[in-house]
Amino acid sequence: MTETPPDVPISPARKMFLSGASFIWLIPILALIVALFVAYRSYSERGPVIIVEFENGSGIAAGETELRFRDVTVGVVEKVGFTSGLDKVTAHIRVEKDVAPYIDSGAVFWVVQPEVTAQGITGLSTVLSGVYIEGSWDRQVGPVAARFQGASTVPLIRPGQGGLEIAFRSTANGDLTDNAPILYKGIEVGRVGYAKIAPRGNFAIVEALIFEEHRGLINDSTRFWDASGFSVNIGPAGAEIDFSSLATLVGGGVTFDTFVSGGAPVSDGTVFEIYPDKETARNSVFNASEVDPLKMSVVFDDNISGLIVGAPVELSGLEIGEVDTLSGLVDRERFGDSRVRLNAILSIQPAHLGLRGEVTAQTALAFLKERVSDGLRARLASASLLTGGLKVEMVIVDDAEEAALEETENGLVVMPTTESDVSDAAATVEGVFTRINSLPIEELLSSAISFLNSAEAFVSDEDLRETPQDVRTLLGELTGLVSSEDVKNVPVALNATLSKIEQLVAQLEQERIVERLGNALEGASEAAESVSSSVAGVPELVEQIQAVAAKAKSLEVEELVVALTELTESADAVIGTEDAVALPGSLKRALDEVNYTLEELREGGAVENVNSALASARNAADNIALTAKDLPQVVNRLTALFAQAGRTIEGYDKGEQLSRGAERTLREIQKAAEALASLARTIERNPNSLLLGR
Amino acid sequence: MVGMAVSGTPEKILSARELGLVACTRCAKPWPLGTPTCGRCGHRLTSRDRMSLQRVWALWLVGLMCYIPANIYPMLKTRTLFQVDESTIIGGAVELAQYGNWGIAFIILFASVAIPLGKFLAVAFLALSVQRGLTTSQRQRHFLYEVVEYIGRWSMIDIFVVAILSSLVQLKTLATINPGTASVFFALSVIFTMLAAQAFDSRMIWDAQAKDEGSNHND
Repeated sequence: MTETPPDVPISPARKMFLSGASFIWLIPILALIVALFVAYRSYSERGPVIIVEFENGSGIAAGETELRFRDVTVGVVEKVGFTSGLDKVTAHIRVEKDVAPYIDSGAVFWVVQPEVTAQGITGLSTVLSGVYIEGSWDRQVGPVAARFQGASTVPLIRPGQGGLEIAFRSTANGDLTDNAPILYKGIEVGRVGYAKIAPRGNFAIVEALIFEEHRGLINDSTRFWDASGFSVNIGPAGAEIDFSSLATLVGGGVTFDTFVSGGAPVSDGTVFEIYPDKETARNSVFNASEVDPLKMSVVFDDNISGLIVGAPVELSGLEIGEVDTLSGLVDRERFGDSRVRLNAILSIQPAHLGLRGEVTAQTALAFLKERVSDGLRARLASASLLTGGLKVEMVIVDDAEEAALEETENGLVVMPTTESDVSDAAATVEGVFTRINSLPIEELLSSAISFLNSAEAFVSDEDLRETPQDVRTLLGELTGLVSSEDVKNVPVALNATLSKIEQLVAQLEQERIVERLGNALEGASEAAESVSSSVAGVPELVEQIQAVAAKAKSLEVEELVVALTELTESADAVIGTEDAVALPGSLKRALDEVNYTLEELREGGAVENVNSALASARNAADNIALTAKDLPQVVNRLTALFAQAGRTIEGYDKGEQLSRGAERTLREIQKAAEALASLARTIERNPNSLLLGR
Repeated sequence: MVGMAVSGTPEKILSARELGLVACTRCAKPWPLGTPTCGRCGHRLTSRDRMSLQRVWALWLVGLMCYIPANIYPMLKTRTLFQVDESTIIGGAVELAQYGNWGIAFIILFASVAIPLGKFLAVAFLALSVQRGLTTSQRQRHFLYEVVEYIGRWSMIDIFVVAILSSLVQLKTLATINPGTASVFFALSVIFTMLAAQAFDSRMIWDAQAKDEGSNHND
């Protein structure tokens, strides 16, 4: 072999090709096998491509943007393109093979971007790293889908996340913000999703999620209410501001409570009502569960302002619903004119009607239909006199025209109406004010002021001020007079006598009998003179009697009285003498005669009587002269008589003066009192006069 | 004939084989043909390694296979605070060129693309020329072989750069550089091309002429 070098390259080469090939070629074959194996593996391990469509490709970059599931990268965007027509952006995502089977038709995708909300900041990491696509799907392997619709925002309920999925039916103005928290005793136990309008457009439906661990808190007695905003209460304990959390203050929130025990557990998809506040929510527990309201249209002919959305709808005083919407309605074909009518859509809550059996809008409608045929009509009525607000009232009108609930083309039933019962509160109040306004208050006041001024002037009058003093003096004097022994002792007869004397004197004046009297007295004085011869001191008395007679002539009563007094005094002095004691009793008789005569004079037939009296007096005087012994007794009695008379007259005289002043004063006071009394009476009789000025 | 004139080898080359000798390729001591191992250094003695070409082709193939992923996969994974950057060899060079670093881009392209590709071509050419018994330009081919063997190790400069960067730039979240998949394949590719070059028995370049002359001589 070595001997023949030319043979070396030829014959061994063939042998060594086979033997050498198996050795060195193992390396490339091995490499090839490895490469093929790797290639196969990488191919077999490569997951499918899914296509997710987004509204926009915000930050999605091919080869960079990752698909994450529970924040673990499970895929990468391979390509970013457009759908046909450039409607949407498509992201072709290569997902990992072991994850791919779970990405079934229920999977949701959304782009995670930095977001600052009231609840906090999310997606902050994407500020630096760029956005990524978050996917969520359940734990069940389902039929693989290739095309998905990406959400623009984080979905509330992620597939397979667990938790109780419920929905809220939000009433009017329930401002629920997306992603608002559901709080229970201040702890977030769920989230509110995105509000959607119900298909019929009469309320908003909000889906919500109660986290799995708090599922037990919810049962069918649970009531939710709006915890957004804050409430301010000012009460005896001071002002109180209440809001659940700052987040709910800004973004709104829902809280709930189970007011009664024993509720049945609820399943996914249960719809709860959201009440505006806790009180309403609490009250609703005890009300019948509310159902879909019945919508009715009412067209009022008279378009009176004051009906507002939310105004109550009452049936026999029971609130059964509220005014939902208000609008004007012009329908020439229907009404025959082009007036604007008030079209109110009422929202009737069938549960409030208290119907038996199943309570639905249909049964409520049937009930109302029946009632309408009985004469049930809707009308506007005053809800509040103060605000002038109106409500819709359903009343039975006895003599109502035939009417029925008619259905319009938009599915609403139209309730027939009747005349409105609106008391024009505004007009009434206005009238009251007008009348108050027209009251002559200023005149009244000026009258009152002038009256008071007059009263003041009257009261401050010097005379009036002295009046009490005068009155007091008067009373004192009167007391003195009454209590005086003299007055007490004055016989009634004397009073009568005096009056007789007065009358007599008057008659004397008239009938000129004074002269006769004078004569009589002269006679008497002659008699006295004759007496004086027998009795010492008597002549003086006679002189006095003469003076009395003279005075009587001049008819000066006062002087007469004085004279009489003097006479009596003198007589007294005379009587005091021993001689007087011996005056004959005939004198007494004469005086008795005089007395009697005077009485007769008073009773009438004065002249004759006087004549006879004078005659008697003459006789008496004659008798006196004869019976001087009785004189002193008579004189004594006369003296006493005259003294008493004089004092009495004096007293009366003084009293008259006083009484005149008092009387005047009293009259004035009386007048004033009467004036006040009449004023008071007037006001008493007609108190309106103060208000009405009449 | 023309090639012989071009190669400029007027004198007849007398090979050791023709003298019945075999030289040790390690210590260069000649031994008589048939001596199995070198008595001085113990190296196995072969006059002509006919399996050399097979080894060359096998290793060349593996090297080429490794070179494909080395260019497809990223060489460096640069993770900075904001982004992750993975660049292939050519992509990185293009990026550098875009930033205006033409020099560095050229060096990278030269060291990582031109030289390995040139080596593949050169080794393939040498092996083919030997198989076809090409007698022309033996000196140039030999020179080419020397260049390939010398320059082959410099291709590892890429791997060194990657290794140094990866070990130096490890700043946790701020910035990290990790060798990419391509670096392994690139290293393998370089290794296998070097092995292929080494597997080539350069004595065979001259054998064709000797055989030619020998056949002529025999004729």
